[in-house]
Amino acid sequence: MATVTMTVNGEKRTASVPPETTLLKLLREELNLTGAKLGCDVGDCGACTVIVDGKSVNSCLMLAGQADGRDILTIEGLATVEHLHPIQQLFEEKGSLQCGFCGPGVIMSAKALLDENPDPSDYEIRDALAGNLCRCTGYTKMIEAIQAVAQAKNNPAARKSA
Amino acid sequence: MDTKTKNQKAVKDAPAATLESTAEMLRAPAAAPLVPMPLEVLVPEARQQTPAVRQRAQRPDCRLHGLGQTKYIDDMYLPGMLYAKIKRAGVASAKIISIDTSEAEAMPGVVAVITGKDVPCNTFGPSLKDQPVLADSRVFHAGDGVAAVAAITEQIAADAVEKIKVEYEILRPVVDPLESLQLETPGLHAPNPNIYGRKIIKKGDIEKGFAESDHIFEASFRTQMVEHVPLEPHASLATWDANGRVTIYSTLGRITLGRADVARTLAMPMSRVRIIATIVGGNFGGKNEITTEPVVALLAKKTGRPVKCTFTRPEEFISSTTRHPLIMDYKTGVTRQGRILARKIRLVLDGGAYCSWSETTLGKACILSAGPYNIDNLLAEAYVVYTNKTMTGAMRGFGAPQVCFAYESHMDDMAKALNIDPLEMRLRNVLEEGSLSPTSQKLHSVVIKESLIQAAERFGWNANGNGAAA
Repeated sequence: MATVTMTVNGEKRTASVPPETTLLKLLREELNLTGAKLGCDVGDCGACTVIVDGKSVNSCLMLAGQADGRDILTIEGLATVEHLHPIQQLFEEKGSLQCGFCGPGVIMSAKALLDENPDPSDYEIRDALAGNLCRCTGYTKMIEAIQAVAQAKNNPAARKSA
Repeated sequence: MDTKTKNQKAVKDAPAATLESTAEMLRAPAAAPLVPMPLEVLVPEARQQTPAVRQRAQRPDCRLHGLGQTKYIDDMYLPGMLYAKIKRAGVASAKIISIDTSEAEAMPGVVAVITGKDVPCNTFGPSLKDQPVLADSRVFHAGDGVAAVAAITEQIAADAVEKIKVEYEILRPVVDPLESLQLETPGLHAPNPNIYGRKIIKKGDIEKGFAESDHIFEASFRTQMVEHVPLEPHASLATWDANGRVTIYSTLGRITLGRADVARTLAMPMSRVRIIATIVGGNFGGKNEITTEPVVALLAKKTGRPVKCTFTRPEEFISSTTRHPLIMDYKTGVTRQGRILARKIRLVLDGGAYCSWSETTLGKACILSAGPYNIDNLLAEAYVVYTNKTMTGAMRGFGAPQVCFAYESHMDDMAKALNIDPLEMRLRNVLEEGSLSPTSQKLHSVVIKESLIQAAERFGWNANGNGAAA
């Protein structure tokens, strides 16, 4: 068994898991954080995307042991009791979530992008979502929502009148 | 203010929500849905049209989706739950000589193993009951399940599946639907004939139509097999209660049909089967019939513990249904002016290993194969045949997209050969108000001509056929 200690959504968490356990399995089965989904288990679909030390990562490809000592942010760590994260809010408003299975992964990819690049171009958004597959909603509404988040952040006045 | 009134108020206020008012709205934890699930079902008044056009649509469930709080089947866990994995045949066509599960059963952590012999009634299907839950004597395609394991972890279940030894007598697989069409005996899927479904539509006199035509065009089109690839793999979770009733949480889209199929395979009255569908992570027709449901129910019964089974992505490709590949032969007689006088069509649907929704697909493909065109003399024949490939079933459109590709490509080819603008060629043939469909149904509210003309104007269609905007 491997003992893994890491910060998850701001809290120190420890789990003891078999060495072949992926970060995704650890989050879902040990910590009950089922927001990250298992879609393909080979890093193609991005439904398992979480943020590790500020970078978006396919958690199905990362062994739990590799996450030891690192800072993990999952979809469950975005909203506070009183506020949705602006990305979640705008995904809702723009109708960017249909079946919702890819949603948490897409939102985490968007979060990693906007943290690094607060004013991304259309191309940069598409590039950031290249590792997230969606079959229901389509990408247009997601890109619109991410653009709106960036706009609101850079120009809060425009957001209010929108 | 009681809770109900509060909820109704929240429902009313919901569309006006902004970032600023969200904090106020969300007295409850952020996990509370934007629109609390109304306790009273909202039933529109009879014959009253919901004003939908130009309204912004916000899904009431999207709050939980965005928060990662929606519980899909694979997110569920019941106390004491076991994980199931299914052994796949890996051969396209074979007789099963023996299945040895002893090594798997002896593994620490494995709680139960079942094979097809443990299934009370090992056949099911939406129309033909030709599909086994777990193949017991004969393998019809590589994705057939032959045994299933329940273990305390998914990893142990997967390892145990590897330890199951199956001895096969390998048979030559038939993979070409045209070969299957010709094969008389022995049936690929005895006692069912190889051609397990057919539909023939006759209208007018095609011989006369072809004789009167100035030109006759022939073309053949093929489409490929397509998998739905829902982001959420098929999954189900079964648990039995003390009174001998089984509850199955499942990704099924058609729970009522699924309930009938589960009851049949378990040889139980339907009243003892409860199917609960949660939110489905993409369906597209691929989750229309049972897959793992009887397996988890039987394993749960054998072990006395809840059992969950989730397809891996490879299983999703080889063991769930796909879109029918079609071979479409068209022969069309036209006048010099491009008016279609006669059309003969033969469709061969590759049905794969099992019938599934083939009959529905066959019917729809055949009825729509003439296209939205007025053709007085028509003969359309459609056949669906077994092959030793992944089964084909329902997928968005039930055969309509395949034939649309064929008749529209055929139309373009003919227009080019006749040197007629492809748009004009269509306008000369499309169905109009009061036209009869290929099956002689009188059609109403037909505005194809108007739609085509408007569309051509909007995107700047020019007679050269390249549609480039001016």
